[in-house]
Amino acid sequence: MAATDATMIRLQSNDNHTIDVEKAVAERSLLIKNMLEDLGDAAVSETIPIPNVTESVLRKVIEWCEHHRGDPPATNEDESDTRKRTTEIEEWDQKFMQVDQEMLFEIILASNYLDIKPLLDVGCKTVANMIKGKSPEEIRKTFNITNDFTPEEEEQIRRENEWAEDR
Amino acid sequence: MSNFKRASQPPPGRSSILSTLQATTMLDTKPVLPAEILVSILDYLPVSDQISFAKTSRRMKEMVYDDTRWISRLRSMGCWDEAEARRRFEEAIKRKREAAERSNAAAAGNTPLAAKRTTLFDAGQEEERRKKLAEEAARAPEIRVDGFETLSLHASTRNSQEDPSTILDIYKNVRSIRGYARQEYGKVYGALAPFYYDLAQAKSHTEPAVFKAFRDPEKQAQMLRNLQRFFQNDWAQGWNERGEVLTNMCNIFENAVLREFEQGYESWDVDGRMRRYAHVLHDLNGGNAAMDVFLSKHPVLNNREALGNPMDCINQAPEDGITLEPSRAFFKAMAIKINEQSAVITQIFPDAETVFWSLLDKVREDIIGEYITTILDESHDRNLEAYLKGASGLFEQCMAFVGSLDPPSKSKESLEKHAKDFGLKTFDPHLDLYFREELDFFAKYAEREVLNWEQKLSEQDATVESFYMGSFNRRADKNDFLSSFKKVVMMPVTVLPTIPISSPFGSGKSTQAVAANGATSRPDSISGTPGASRTTTPGVGGSLEPKTGPLPSEAPTDELKAKAALMANRLEGIKSLFSIEVALDMVHNAKEGLGRVAVFIRLGGQAGEEAREQCEAIFITLLKVLGQNHVKNGFIKAVDHLSNYKAREVSDHDQAGVAPLVTFIELVNVGDLISQMIDVFYEQQLAAPKISDRNDFLDPAGLAKKKWEQMLDESVAAGLNKGIDVLMDEVEYICATTQLPTDYNPPPASQEKGTQQDNDIGPTQTAKRVKELVASHTNMLVGSTEKTMLDVFNGEVGLRLFTAICKHLKRQRISTEGAIKLIADTTLYFEYIRGLKNQDLLAYFKALRELSQIYLIDAKHAKEMATIIADGDRFGGIFRAEEVYEYAERRADWYQVKRNVERAMYGMDCAIM
Repeated sequence: MAATDATMIRLQSNDNHTIDVEKAVAERSLLIKNMLEDLGDAAVSETIPIPNVTESVLRKVIEWCEHHRGDPPATNEDESDTRKRTTEIEEWDQKFMQVDQEMLFEIILASNYLDIKPLLDVGCKTVANMIKGKSPEEIRKTFNITNDFTPEEEEQIRRENEWAEDR
Repeated sequence: MSNFKRASQPPPGRSSILSTLQATTMLDTKPVLPAEILVSILDYLPVSDQISFAKTSRRMKEMVYDDTRWISRLRSMGCWDEAEARRRFEEAIKRKREAAERSNAAAAGNTPLAAKRTTLFDAGQEEERRKKLAEEAARAPEIRVDGFETLSLHASTRNSQEDPSTILDIYKNVRSIRGYARQEYGKVYGALAPFYYDLAQAKSHTEPAVFKAFRDPEKQAQMLRNLQRFFQNDWAQGWNERGEVLTNMCNIFENAVLREFEQGYESWDVDGRMRRYAHVLHDLNGGNAAMDVFLSKHPVLNNREALGNPMDCINQAPEDGITLEPSRAFFKAMAIKINEQSAVITQIFPDAETVFWSLLDKVREDIIGEYITTILDESHDRNLEAYLKGASGLFEQCMAFVGSLDPPSKSKESLEKHAKDFGLKTFDPHLDLYFREELDFFAKYAEREVLNWEQKLSEQDATVESFYMGSFNRRADKNDFLSSFKKVVMMPVTVLPTIPISSPFGSGKSTQAVAANGATSRPDSISGTPGASRTTTPGVGGSLEPKTGPLPSEAPTDELKAKAALMANRLEGIKSLFSIEVALDMVHNAKEGLGRVAVFIRLGGQAGEEAREQCEAIFITLLKVLGQNHVKNGFIKAVDHLSNYKAREVSDHDQAGVAPLVTFIELVNVGDLISQMIDVFYEQQLAAPKISDRNDFLDPAGLAKKKWEQMLDESVAAGLNKGIDVLMDEVEYICATTQLPTDYNPPPASQEKGTQQDNDIGPTQTAKRVKELVASHTNMLVGSTEKTMLDVFNGEVGLRLFTAICKHLKRQRISTEGAIKLIADTTLYFEYIRGLKNQDLLAYFKALRELSQIYLIDAKHAKEMATIIADGDRFGGIFRAEEVYEYAERRADWYQVKRNVERAMYGMDCAIM
């Protein structure tokens, strides 16, 4: 990060903290990347506000970006329905995601906003692993979902999906 | 998106504001994920958890139930057919419309009811269909709220142990219906997932429920296959561990089955174990493993010695030859064996055809390829011709071999395709060498022949003083030859269209025959029995080629051979500057080579194209050698001879022909015959079997042929030019030496009335001879050269003859009595010229005839004579008055009449002056 030739840009979180980031790292975010491209050199000197993200989350996201700065650019989006999706998460990311649920969701939202697809994927996978094997009631708790089914409807859904009952 | 804010609404009631506030702040810190993120999270969830998710709220249920999610899962297992789905969808739309129309027609009354039913169209209708298909019709859905639940009920109840056989076929029963993907997937999942996850957790191969639920290996194999397919849609965490376990299980299973198969193989238990386990393996993964085992241990591949030793083909043949009889036997034995195997394979394997062709492939690699390579290599080392024959013959046999096979499926097309493939692969390593050798062989042969012949010719030149003289004495023979020759020349025109295309090399067998007796079938016996065979009819003499039995019977079908026979008959007398004999021999050789190469054309593709080009190359070489080296040289020599000819130096003028010219014209005839031969050859061997395209003006063979014809025409034209000179020399010579002064100026009749035949008013001897000479030469060309060229030639000859006669006339002295003879002579010429049907030429001779009449006029009528002389119209503009006057000077009594004539001609003028 201290590399002399690396251009630094300044990001500002919604709670008015500024963070200096190497341009190459920040460009993991497609949102920032496109913005920089659009603005040209002028952007380098200015502070870029990131209004939706708090400082702690932003730092976390930048940490991830720094670790993954050398990753090859995301391969062209495969046919999303035929692509074999894998839920495996690499070790570093697993550790990285060992945060409380609130933070996890914040990271997901931030990566969604900043358009960092790989990070978003990791987040989703983590959430998926989190709720695996949970009962509907537990899921509702996790995601804060209200059960708006009538008992009849609940029974019906259960019957419809008997085939998927655990072994 | 389920809105947590709704959940966070303070419970109605009287709780303290503080607690409400607390709750609010607490919930406010909890972020909420938007729908699209939830969707992508769903994607990472295993199926069972997705369903759990669906149970949380209506929004979630909608999200999970989304059809595309399930379609993509079905598609990943390869059981979603978009086309089928669309068809169903369109059908449904149609039905809906019809129903709507119906309901509109029904109008008023129960409209709402009808409409209701149509909106639920496919739910109801598909349901009906399904019910019929389902075995457990009894388990009809009790509750039908919106048409979804019944299906899942079906699937779930049918699940597992109850009816194992439906599980085996689960994938076959999956249908592609839009809006029902989840239900269909549910069926599959319900059937397979328990086994799948059970197997994934198994520690050893005895554990999995699959092997317990299904006892016989056929069903186990099918199940394993189904599970492998199911694995394709498992992308939840841990999928690769599960996949590994599954693959391991399959391998273990496969090995076990394979062992059984091998044991069956060893005891050759075709109908029992082999058949059974081959099918099991096929069900499992296509059965490649069984096929490999079957092929690698196949008995056919082991006892190859029994089928025959390739060296037999060479060792049993006469010296430097090759006989293909042992190889034929070899292929026959092979075909029998393979056909036996075909039956066995059909019994054992479900996809017998693949196995069969693989077996054949192996046989080709291990046995046939080796066999052929041995023969070809050996024969290539020993004798080139044998090699060429062997290559072509073996190829033919090879194709016949594949053709005689009896593959499990009787598709003719595939057999042909495989045959081509087979031939190509077998001969691939040999083709290049073969093509090259074939062309080299022919080119060398042709050049050697021509060289030999030229050598012979020069030797002959040295020994015989002049072979012109030698051939001179054979005029009768030559005329005989020429007459029969014309018939031959005419023949192709009439016979050509009816030639059966397949005659010489069309079928494979004949090639074999040629390969076997090719050495003898060539007309190398041409020089034998000249006298005996000289029959007058142009038919093929029975005594012609005593050595070769089959040829005469075959000959009528083949233009070339008929010609060959005929020419062989006639030719031995003519030792010309080039020889039909040589040409024939070469053509025959070319034909043989061509036939051998042409066999390969049906390979198609690149090899076929190469073979075709090779054929053309052979043809081109033939033309080149024959044309440049042989015919052209001959013509050049002939023209040389012609120009060296001096009429006055030749002592013998008794013959009706000028020797070099006769020779030359004969050459033209021979050349034309060769050309005809080439033409027939082209038509029959190249154009008819589509080796060369007649209409393609860029085709090398066609070009070469045109060049050849052009060369021939040029040579002939050059020769004829010289020939005319020579002919005229001869004419003048005859005129000068044989015309007696008394011919046109007989002594007074009164003196020798007794001996002189006054009443003989026919033409003089000289005129007859001249006419004969010229006529015989022009006639010789009839039918052998082009019409236009012949016309030009005749015109030139006529004109020159005219000049010669005029010149001759000016040297004579003609009396009134002699004029009768002269008139007879000119009439003779006139008649002859008229026979040539050349109008321009005729005018000259008409004038000449008129001119001869001036000698008939009696001296007393000088005035009339003058009128005639001055009358230009009379001579059609051929002679001017001055010229006629010159001729008039040749009158015997000119000095007596001169004055009167001149006075009559010019006196008038004087009088006027």
